[in-house]
Amino acid sequence: MDSETRELRALEAEVAALQRECRMLQNAGEKASGAWKSFQNISQSDSEEWESLKDLRSRLEHLRSEHSFLSKLTGFNIRNYSKMEDIVNTEETEKDTKKVLQKHRLSGNCNMVTFQLEFEVLETETKEKKSSIITDLSIIMEPTEYSELSEFASRAEEKRDLLMFFRSLHFFVEWCEYRENTFKHFKEKYPDTVYLLEGTCSHCMEIRSTRQPGFELVIVWKIQIDEEGMVFPKLDLLTKVPERALGLDKNRVIETAPLSFRSLLGVLGIEAALDSLIRLFSGDNN
Amino acid sequence: MESANTLCPGRKCKGGVLAHLERLEAQTNISNRKSEEPTVRKKESSLRTKIRELQQQRDKLRAEVKQWRARVKEPPAKEDPSRTVISEQEVLEREWRNVEAILEAYRFTGLSGKLTSRGVCMCISTAFEGNLLDSYFVDLVIEKPLRIHHHSVPVFIPLEKIAAAHLQTDVQRFLFSLWEYLNAYSGRKYQADQLENWTADSPSH
Repeated sequence: MDSETRELRALEAEVAALQRECRMLQNAGEKASGAWKSFQNISQSDSEEWESLKDLRSRLEHLRSEHSFLSKLTGFNIRNYSKMEDIVNTEETEKDTKKVLQKHRLSGNCNMVTFQLEFEVLETETKEKKSSIITDLSIIMEPTEYSELSEFASRAEEKRDLLMFFRSLHFFVEWCEYRENTFKHFKEKYPDTVYLLEGTCSHCMEIRSTRQPGFELVIVWKIQIDEEGMVFPKLDLLTKVPERALGLDKNRVIETAPLSFRSLLGVLGIEAALDSLIRLFSGDNN
Repeated sequence: MESANTLCPGRKCKGGVLAHLERLEAQTNISNRKSEEPTVRKKESSLRTKIRELQQQRDKLRAEVKQWRARVKEPPAKEDPSRTVISEQEVLEREWRNVEAILEAYRFTGLSGKLTSRGVCMCISTAFEGNLLDSYFVDLVIEKPLRIHHHSVPVFIPLEKIAAAHLQTDVQRFLFSLWEYLNAYSGRKYQADQLENWTADSPSH
């Protein structure tokens, strides 16, 4: 009857409304519980996107850990890299030769030294072989207090030797760290005798006599990079003595001190040589 | 018949068959009921039955809604979820491409590598002045002790000696030491090849 039909329609509407509400609440409930499962409202393709996003996140994490690992292992931390590719017209050159010129920009740091590189690589491909040549290299390094570095950078630029640049940079930084640790060690061991005017990062260490004020030794420790990119330390001794003492020095010990120091280095090595010198000057009579 | 009465108290029971059907409908879920609908409609007061179905369905849904309302702790967010997914994806993809490019760029430093299931496979690149030359690889298994799984280092390079000296104590030193040997060899080989080509091309031949 009519009333029954009306009742039926009302019930149908109510059921439909309740079903909708149920779905909505279910979705909200899932969200609130933190489960990003597929939403019933969203179509099948969207839920696939959610899956790929999770996948992307985990892959990115894996890549980042790979980067961090490589950075620690090599000592080089590359922060930025970009590449632009230009194809050189091959019709002007020989047939079957493909030439590609790539421009690269790379920046990062190796411990306290930051570098910014821009270089070009020309890749030539013939039927027989492939070759890659660096055709241009530009290097900017910080900090600029390391004067040895700027000279080295311009030499590397001239030779376009990118790999040698990195290798030498690695050893240079390693030597700097060793120097810093050595100076720090001696400062801690002989606080009244050893003075580092510019802190542990300086390349000079002063040894002041506690018994005879006015007598000083200065160790100058430079780290040099030669033409081939070999890194080696160069230590020199400077003396500071009162004039009277100079007059008394019959054996010309003070004059020959720098040379003697070089021999001492050769015999004892850096640490032992420095240690013995400091002992001479400190109150220590062991 | 008696059981039919207890199932639907206060309702008009039309007879044995209908009551039996009602019991079945009460036991199965909505989707099953829909398939039985055509047969029910043929009977009298099919409308009444339909009403009953819907009432039961409504009651069930009401209970469900109550349940869900209790579970929802916060109101649902107003943002469009599909839109945030896509922009986050773009950001992640860009970042991923960036890191991937950086990892590839490591070959310009001379040392690059890829993580493997067992450890890392290091790739050592060599060059002579501006010319990028061959690469060699060393596959390391990260265990105690660290060991070389396999490699492409030429026989005359003293790999064992270098490994014995540094591999366990300082992997970085091992790699740089090996790099020096390989680079020196690669550079000399390149120079020798160049010289050969030069003498082959020269007019005296």
